[in-house]
Amino acid sequence: MDCGTALGKIIAKADGLLPREAKAELAGHLAGCPACAAEDAAISATGPVLRALTGIRAMEKAPALDAMWPRVRAGIEESRETRRRSVWIARRWAWIPVAVALAASALLFYPAGTDRSPFHPSSFDVTVEDVDSDIATVALVDKGEDLPRVIWIIEDAKT
Amino acid sequence: MPRPDPRGRAGAPALSFLLLLLLLAAVPSEAADTVSVDVGAVYASNEGTSVDPALGTIRGKLHSMFNYTSYRMLDRKRRSLSVGEAGEFELPGRRTMRATPLPARGDKVRLSIQISEGSRNLLTTTLGLRRGGMVLVGGPPHQSGVLILIISAE
Repeated sequence: MDCGTALGKIIAKADGLLPREAKAELAGHLAGCPACAAEDAAISATGPVLRALTGIRAMEKAPALDAMWPRVRAGIEESRETRRRSVWIARRWAWIPVAVALAASALLFYPAGTDRSPFHPSSFDVTVEDVDSDIATVALVDKGEDLPRVIWIIEDAKT
Repeated sequence: MPRPDPRGRAGAPALSFLLLLLLLAAVPSEAADTVSVDVGAVYASNEGTSVDPALGTIRGKLHSMFNYTSYRMLDRKRRSLSVGEAGEFELPGRRTMRATPLPARGDKVRLSIQISEGSRNLLTTTLGLRRGGMVLVGGPPHQSGVLILIISAE
């Protein structure tokens, strides 16, 4: 194995991607090549150093993060309260558009020109003051108080 | 933040309902000097035995007064007319009816009725009814039967 190939395998080993057989082959090369062995030692130490550095940075930032959480919680709570308030306002005044719609329907449909409700007369008491026709014979039919009075038009003896 | 008053929330629909009732009561209230004239045109014949349910309580009365087996409402119109105001009602068979409320006392309604067929005067009459009363005008031929007009006034 030459040093170039060994360097690629050293990096692969640091990334945890080197197969076991290749590791053994690389170890053989490192035993006989001090330069590659030094390179391997340096690259292998990089990971733990980076982890240690990240830990140190996190410890440095911890007080600021701890102070930030109450503010985040307060913001979430305030947002929930605003939502609850708007829902309450919507519920409280929701009847207004419903009432307006009902009133508009009543205004539109109540005084309709056409009435389809069944007839329910309260009286058949009718006085016929005068009756006349230019072209027909007119008969006044009265069959009693509980029946409607009828004005019957007889056209040319048809009916 | 103060909690919403549940009594206030329950009261709002009740208040809206009351407002609606007031509105409904105010809208159709006609002045005493107006008359609501209702004219239904019924086709009476011996074609079949059906009786239009829209005829309401007078279905039985029509059966007991006339010899027709079928009664079908062709048209029905209602107009609110002031005293002296003529209202025209189109009837089947190119006939027209003109109704004019005349001055009357108490719960009485007086109507001047004129039914025409083209330029021909079919009937001219003056009727005196109680408010809610009804009179029938029948006889004009229509298809294979006759036309019966149900005239009521409130």
